[in-house]
Amino acid sequence: MGPRGRETWAQRLGAFRASPSAFMAGPEGEDLGCDLLSELRSEKLSEQTKVSLLALSLEYPAQLWPDTAAAEAAATSLLDTLVLLPPRPSALRRPLLLAATTALAAGDALGPTSAASLRLLPLLLGLASGSDLGRGFGPASEQRSLQATACECLRELESCKPGLLGGRLGLLRGLLGQEGPVQPLSLLLALALRNALVIQARARAGLQGLLMAGDAPTVGIPWNWALAEEGAAHLQPQAPGWPATEVQECGLAVLEPSPEEARELRAAVAQLLDTSYLLTPVAQAQLLWLLGWALRGLRGQPPVLFKPQLVRLLGTAQLTLLHAILALKAAFGEALFTAQDEALLLRRLTLAAQHPALPLSAHLFYLHCLLSFPENWPLGPTGEEAAPLLLGPRLCRGLLPSLLHNPMALLARLHLLCLLCADDEEKEEKAQDWSPQHYLEELLAGLRQRAALDGGPRALATLCFQASYLVVRCLAMQPAVLTPLTRGLAQLYQSRPALAPHFVDLLDRVGPELGEPLRVVLRQEVVARPGKDEALCWHLQILAKVADGNAQSATLGFLRAAAARCTDWDLQQALLQVCRALLRAGVGKGLADLLQALARQLEDPDGRDRARLYYILLAHLAGPKLGVALGPSLAAPAASSLVAENQGFAAALMVQEAPAPIRLSVGPRRAEGPVPVLQLQVEVLEPVYSLELRFRVEGQLYAPLEAVHVPCLYPGRPCRPLLLPLQPRRPAPTHLDVRALYTTPSGLTRHAHLPPLLVTFADLFLPFPQSPEGDKQGFFEELWDSCLPKGAESSLWCPLGPRGLEALVSHHLEPFVVVAQPPTSYHVAIHLPPNSRLLLRLEAAQVDGVPVALRTDDWAVLPLAGDYLRGLSAAV
Amino acid sequence: MAQRAVWLISHEPGAPLGGTVRFSRRYPTVEKRAKVFNGASYVPIPEDGPFMKALLFELRLLDDDKDFIESRDSCSHINKTSVYGLLIGGGELWPVVAFLKNTMIYACVPLVEQTLSPHPPLISISGISQGFELLFGIQDFLYLGQKNDTEINTKLNQLPDLLLQACPFGTLLDANLQNSLDSINFASVTHPQKQPAWKVGTYKGKPQVSISITEKVKSMQYDKQDIADTWQVVGAVTCKCDLEGIMPNVTISLSLPTNGSPLQDILVHPCVTSLDSAILTSSSIDAMDDSAFSGPYKFPFTPPLESFNLCYYTSQVPVPPILGFYQMKEEEIKVKITVNLKLHESVKNNFEFCEAHIPFYNRGPITHVESKVSFGQLEVFREKSLLIWIIGQKFPKSMEISLSGTVTFGAKSHEKQPFDEICIGGTAYLKLHFKILDYTLTGCYADQHSVQVFASGKPKISTYRKLISSDYYIWNSKAPAPVVTYGSLLLVRCHN
Repeated sequence: MGPRGRETWAQRLGAFRASPSAFMAGPEGEDLGCDLLSELRSEKLSEQTKVSLLALSLEYPAQLWPDTAAAEAAATSLLDTLVLLPPRPSALRRPLLLAATTALAAGDALGPTSAASLRLLPLLLGLASGSDLGRGFGPASEQRSLQATACECLRELESCKPGLLGGRLGLLRGLLGQEGPVQPLSLLLALALRNALVIQARARAGLQGLLMAGDAPTVGIPWNWALAEEGAAHLQPQAPGWPATEVQECGLAVLEPSPEEARELRAAVAQLLDTSYLLTPVAQAQLLWLLGWALRGLRGQPPVLFKPQLVRLLGTAQLTLLHAILALKAAFGEALFTAQDEALLLRRLTLAAQHPALPLSAHLFYLHCLLSFPENWPLGPTGEEAAPLLLGPRLCRGLLPSLLHNPMALLARLHLLCLLCADDEEKEEKAQDWSPQHYLEELLAGLRQRAALDGGPRALATLCFQASYLVVRCLAMQPAVLTPLTRGLAQLYQSRPALAPHFVDLLDRVGPELGEPLRVVLRQEVVARPGKDEALCWHLQILAKVADGNAQSATLGFLRAAAARCTDWDLQQALLQVCRALLRAGVGKGLADLLQALARQLEDPDGRDRARLYYILLAHLAGPKLGVALGPSLAAPAASSLVAENQGFAAALMVQEAPAPIRLSVGPRRAEGPVPVLQLQVEVLEPVYSLELRFRVEGQLYAPLEAVHVPCLYPGRPCRPLLLPLQPRRPAPTHLDVRALYTTPSGLTRHAHLPPLLVTFADLFLPFPQSPEGDKQGFFEELWDSCLPKGAESSLWCPLGPRGLEALVSHHLEPFVVVAQPPTSYHVAIHLPPNSRLLLRLEAAQVDGVPVALRTDDWAVLPLAGDYLRGLSAAV
Repeated sequence: MAQRAVWLISHEPGAPLGGTVRFSRRYPTVEKRAKVFNGASYVPIPEDGPFMKALLFELRLLDDDKDFIESRDSCSHINKTSVYGLLIGGGELWPVVAFLKNTMIYACVPLVEQTLSPHPPLISISGISQGFELLFGIQDFLYLGQKNDTEINTKLNQLPDLLLQACPFGTLLDANLQNSLDSINFASVTHPQKQPAWKVGTYKGKPQVSISITEKVKSMQYDKQDIADTWQVVGAVTCKCDLEGIMPNVTISLSLPTNGSPLQDILVHPCVTSLDSAILTSSSIDAMDDSAFSGPYKFPFTPPLESFNLCYYTSQVPVPPILGFYQMKEEEIKVKITVNLKLHESVKNNFEFCEAHIPFYNRGPITHVESKVSFGQLEVFREKSLLIWIIGQKFPKSMEISLSGTVTFGAKSHEKQPFDEICIGGTAYLKLHFKILDYTLTGCYADQHSVQVFASGKPKISTYRKLISSDYYIWNSKAPAPVVTYGSLLLVRCHN
């Protein structure tokens, strides 16, 4: 972009300021930073325009030079421009210094590796020391102002990089004693001192003579970054000297300077305080905050140094000064303020909080300070607003709220009044002549009267409800306050039902102390009406909030009467909203009739649908489930009420998958009956209701399995085994896929996938049902012979454990033994559903094993049987 | 201690956006620190447009209070100070110090050097009072002395340069912006050592000291058995010291005549170098008795160049200067009124002006007035539903005057007639406006001879006094008056 005139720049800057983000995203955005730097050296632009360019760079360096490298380059360019200025007076030197400082500090470029930093810092220090930097730095007349500016720049750099000037404390002290401008040097020294103390204390190091470095030469020696590197790690969230209890966290208490250091420190602080009257009031306040913070908790540094300043400052009306005194109070407590001092400070604060010569904002801030007053010996819990002990009703006389006050003042004073009422309640002997409760009641009545004004601004209503809320929060335990409040609010509703949203909001936020009685009176208030007046929509809104199982018939009567008047969508929805509340509250009788009537009679199809939905829900869901389904979800009203409703149902009525709180295992076998039956054992981690277990077998091996139902299960309470009959189509082991459907204690239905269950080959074994009493051997032989020729035959060696054949049989094959000649010979017949058989002859057992002859009529069983037998020997 | 940003927004009711950002200034180096200090709770400073919108909403200055909006109207959304949280871009920008004065909104965001959640108490944030002081300073600069729009626009245009002087990096150096303006102009003056930062340059010329005492008297009068009337005097002493030298010392003594009312609740300018403990402790909180400190009140100080308020005080004078009653009775569309005013004999009967304004709220325009005044003249402002009784420069010899009459009103047409949230039904007031020159109600005066000046040359000392009314109300005794009366009831009972 070529050079631009003043006008173009004015336009460009205007466009940028209107919306920096939009401008930077536009076509001109990219070059703005570069253009700005090059135009600063243009001879065509006036100084005034250049100052406005620099002003922009002071505000938006991050937009102009978005990364560290760009910031570094910009600072270098700004410094070059500064050096190249002709030696005549110029309005650019000061803003150039500020801009270079801002670019480095805001662009994260400040540091030992930044060339621009290494140029800027000695330059600033040189200017601040009043050294002669040559004619490039303007005429002598400008030096004083540049000296102050350099101090400001150094202060900002020190703020962003604490410890930067830690090595120059002695130099700064020296300058302050000489001719330097008092305010900039004082503030710079105080900040550097504070930071050095904090960093050294954290590093558990002493002051190391930092204060006594004296007039070290400023130019030529390399900058000492050590303390700043240390400090950079500490520019992190911290409590700035408040409250006093956090001293330990800051680690300041551990810094115990040597007697010599302590003396030097005291001298430095005294030097700063002695000339503090030369500072502007705001700067005096900054100095007190900094020094208060620096000395807090430092051993051997009695805060009496501050005392001479306090008397002078206590008389002023200056917000910053009184605030700084409070900071000192918080930091030093009794060490600086005796009980009498504390009382005086409180009186001044009370006075300032109502002084007619001060603006409202100051009053409000002082009121806040009163309620957060750093007492020497606080009684209550810290962090909560409370009236200080010394602030009795007498002092508060002028701080009572009145209707003529601005809303914020009224609320602030009301809070104080509530605290007084709370105190008053605790006192045994009450003041005879004046009762804060009575005053409070009158005030609230006045507020309600104003809020009741038809057509009055909403702010008045809001104020009334805020006041009521504040009172309830502070005085929830005082029926003497709550009873008239409840009654008054009911009257307010009576005279202005349009405030219904405020009532709903209040009910949402107050505890049961007010909430319960208010619900009752509001419900009475609404249902006692014919349901035909103008304010029907408000009544319905209130009723949706307060309707519960009580006074059902009156409520339903009101709704029936109202239904006829609900002609538009809004009213119908409001009406249905009340029905919903009743559904939730478990009102059944009467409501069903109403819903049915609504489902027929409402004009709007949406309303009819919703009424029908509620009717269906009412008819099909049990009470608790209904309560959950209609739980407090209702998001913002959607185009259709059903859509909105759905959002709630999605969570409540739909089955959601969840990790199962259920553990399922297969219990001991139970070889009896016509089909194999698995005994399932269930354990739960939390109460589970209406459990339904569904099983599925891969492929077509078994017939589909019936689901198993359990009404309820509790953790730690044993449950009878569940029986799962299997209907194999082929005698084969398999895996059962298991899913659980259940209801949680909160009424939600959940669904879970459980680990698969293994059905082993042995699980399918059944004894032969028609085993005759008489000739067992004959029966067995008959079965044995019938297997061939269709089936298969095999024999194998089954190794035996130390307990022999008898144990093996009794463990595994007992139910199936037809003929037994213990301990050496057993004939076993197993029925494998649907219709296979497996016959075993275990004869002539030896010590280490037994030969097994085996026949089956189903050749596919043979390998399974083989595996089973081999498995047995391993198991025994 | 530093500010992250400052704004001036003119409030324009009815305009599409509700206002215009007239000035804004951001401090990126402070913002950098905020990001570190606030950690996860950091919310960046928004651009001007979104900021203004959120602030106007929070201050209830957008014209849309028709509907209940929870984030603004909820009963738990309680603001007890001029410090707000603004919902912007999903986060809460806090603390925003802001107030509205003369259709201008002044706002800034102080740096908080810790995490913002939970909000630390305001008292622990040094930037809050610094922010207030900056905004008060800007307000004083814009509005002290002149009022017209052109002058204010000129001053607004000077603001960027002034803040570059007074607050270059977001840390306020001087809340007195006029000083900064002067320091730009005085740039070439070489400063000797120990020049106070609050005094740019030195005065050259004829030495003179001017002291002016202005007392404002407020009152609430009810003419009722069970409610006590209240009144209060608030005084301000303004000085302008044109004296040579860097640090001239001046001591001004305020004195009271023997029957004068003691000065209380004294607040002094920071240039006052020391204060007698009797001055520091004399307070309206305490019951008055004969032992109350009654002066002379000595104020030693080193004056700044400009005119400044040396001190403020209050006082409880034994009687109000004008005692009266106002009776108003409604009779359908008419009201009957009777007013009686009596000037206390001790008060100087020589007014610059004296008027009683009798407004009628929440009614239609005045259609007819029948009246009788014992003194002065009655003016009728029909559309404004207002009567002004011009009493003039002197009360008659009897010191007592009266007005009686009947006022008839037309139909109430909504928008036009004045609305008031207090004056409902019979609740009504009249308000007195008066000014008496060369007089103070307390009797307080600055004796020329008691002014001590330690500077070269004998200065010319001039003193001025005046009493003006401010919030001087007489309530209709035939109807309820606002509950504020209870506060005063308490006051009176405690005294007895």
